[in-house]
Amino acid sequence: MNVLVFAEVVENEIQEITYELVGKAKQLGDVTTLVVGNADVSNINSDVIQVDAGEPLPWHYKIVEKVFEKLKPSAILFGNTLTSIDIAAQFAAQLDLPMATMVTDISAKDDGFVATSLVYGGKVLVDLALKSPAVFVVNRGSFPAEEGKGSVGNVEKLSLEELGVSDGIEFVGYIKPEVEDVDISKMDIVVSVGRGIGDEANIELAEELAEVLGGVVAGSRPVIDSGWLPKTRQVGRSGKTVTGKLYLALGISGATEHVEGVKAKNVIAINIDRNAPIFRISRCGVVADVLELVPVLIEKIREAKG
Amino acid sequence: MKICAVLRVVPDLVEEIEIEETEIVPFAYIANERDEHAVEEALILKEKAGGSVDVLGVVDEDTASDVDEPLAMAYAKGADNLIKAILSRKTFRRYEVAKGLAEFLKDKGYDVIFTGIQAIDAFAGTLGGMLARCMNLPYIGGVVEVDVQNGTLVVKKELGGGLLGEYRVSTPAILGVVSAERPLKFVPFAKLKKAMKEANIDEVDIEVPEIEGIDVLRYYEPPKPEITLLEGDPEELAEKLVEVLKEVSVL
Ligand SMILES: Cc1cc2nc3c(=O)[nH]c(=O)nc-3n(C[C@H](O)[C@H](O)[C@H](O)COP(=O)(O)OP(=O)(O)OC[C@H]3O[C@@H](n4cnc5c(N)ncnc54)[C@H](O)[C@@H]3O)c2cc1C
Ligand SMILES: Nc1ncnc2c1ncn2[C@@H]1O[C@H](COP(=O)(O)O)[C@@H](O)[C@H]1O
Repeated sequence: MNVLVFAEVVENEIQEITYELVGKAKQLGDVTTLVVGNADVSNINSDVIQVDAGEPLPWHYKIVEKVFEKLKPSAILFGNTLTSIDIAAQFAAQLDLPMATMVTDISAKDDGFVATSLVYGGKVLVDLALKSPAVFVVNRGSFPAEEGKGSVGNVEKLSLEELGVSDGIEFVGYIKPEVEDVDISKMDIVVSVGRGIGDEANIELAEELAEVLGGVVAGSRPVIDSGWLPKTRQVGRSGKTVTGKLYLALGISGATEHVEGVKAKNVIAINIDRNAPIFRISRCGVVADVLELVPVLIEKIREAKG
Repeated sequence: MKICAVLRVVPDLVEEIEIEETEIVPFAYIANERDEHAVEEALILKEKAGGSVDVLGVVDEDTASDVDEPLAMAYAKGADNLIKAILSRKTFRRYEVAKGLAEFLKDKGYDVIFTGIQAIDAFAGTLGGMLARCMNLPYIGGVVEVDVQNGTLVVKKELGGGLLGEYRVSTPAILGVVSAERPLKFVPFAKLKKAMKEANIDEVDIEVPEIEGIDVLRYYEPPKPEITLLEGDPEELAEKLVEVLKEVSVL
């Protein structure tokens, strides 16, 4: 079967998730990767169709539509990212194709597919049966990237004129992240607060803990959205990825969008809910109320440090 | 500017949810967080450009009353009209909902329709983009800010990793909001109570078509983590944590 992968391109660079998708797609059939823009495609381990159309835009579902007509793929894979999901949803609706999002696994079955999706904030898995052709929006980190890397096959270049598409939304430019006071992605020790911290006033508690540990405070989206911490401190898909020695998660549930940004060597999570998905990526999980535990923990750490 | 915001309730994950093979049975419903941001951004756009905000609460028979309070909340914050759209049947497919809603929305003359993006129970589509195709309107998601310049929308969209993009979008358009540009306005309980009494909610029935191609086989719990969870009194737990911090050479 033919499989089409929609490459994730940001600032003219192929993103890692593209290789994850290509790797998975190769298990399903013959792969063509569609790249919008003129990024370097030499490491993509498949054939490529490259369309000179600047940065990917929501209306580029029209490009996918043209390529779909040309290749007649059975499966079309997109990354679950802020760019690709706009395109995937419109493409699927335009062509009346079944679509699964938040996908963590795909297999071919009979004359269709079975997809697994991680939903309800990471608390539920669902298996879906989809008719072919089908659209999949795949979570980052679901498949190894290595299999998708290699040397590119045949590269076909197309222009928007050749495809005969044009449309509405106009890209004005990028707005770079604000210059931060600290770069949480470079810090060794990050104490991160989620909605479970309850109140803005309790952020102080996390700050004190970060101070005794020699780290900095970060947060999940609801905490940032509430204005309790600056945007530069957000961990996750939309924010930063932490990569240091320790990530201490206080009252964070562990939604997919959050854990995408957690690549620290050791994760310790404190959560009142023993089923919190954050425990699945933790080295150590503590079922407790952060407001009760953290003050005691600060004391004990002070004692240990002497 | 005639503005609409879609608002829906989703299972409250703070409460237990029961995972049955063929359905998810929630204990309680709350407003979908992203939709609350969509409503907020709609109200911000009204402040900037003038006009009115209609809030469309999308429910099925089972959740019809759960949306009353979130709708009243929107009213307390400044929404002009409240509409309850009752779907003819429950569905997990956004595409089916989009088709039904498009039929209702098509002749309402909205300049901007806001939806939240990716509700926690999304696994078969994303409403905003699908609605856009059913209505033949431009769509952009991941929106965190909206301005108007010379009659055109100027939209900021998240691209991940802190990067934003700026876009010009002609109206009418559909915008998928991830977060409003300011924190959600706080509504005191007394004001909410008052709004619950005063707010007038119109009801419309939405016929949801059945489209084949995707079915739920089963719902189930993800595998349990391989670690042993620590439980006990704070004193004991704090001591254990200090040991762990030593193990990972943080202390
Ligand atoms: C496109 C998109 C992008 C997104 N990007 C990001 C992103 O970059 N970063 C991000 O974080 N999120 C992001 N999100 C949001 C994400 O889906 C979740 O909504 C968010 O991560 C939840 O944050 P939380 O864990 O703090 O809150 P919740 O999910 O509400 O979890 C709070 C947790 O605290 C626990 N708790 C409550 N009280 C206590 C207590 N007293 N003691 C201990 N534990 C307690 C609860 O059990 C619960 O597990 C994005 C969503 C979308 C749709
Ligand atoms: N099955 C559904 N019924 C009603 N509203 C929905 C449904 N699915 C999504 N929505 C709404 O559509 C918007 C986007 O959700 P999503 O499809 O998850 O991106 C949100 O406003 C949701 O609350």
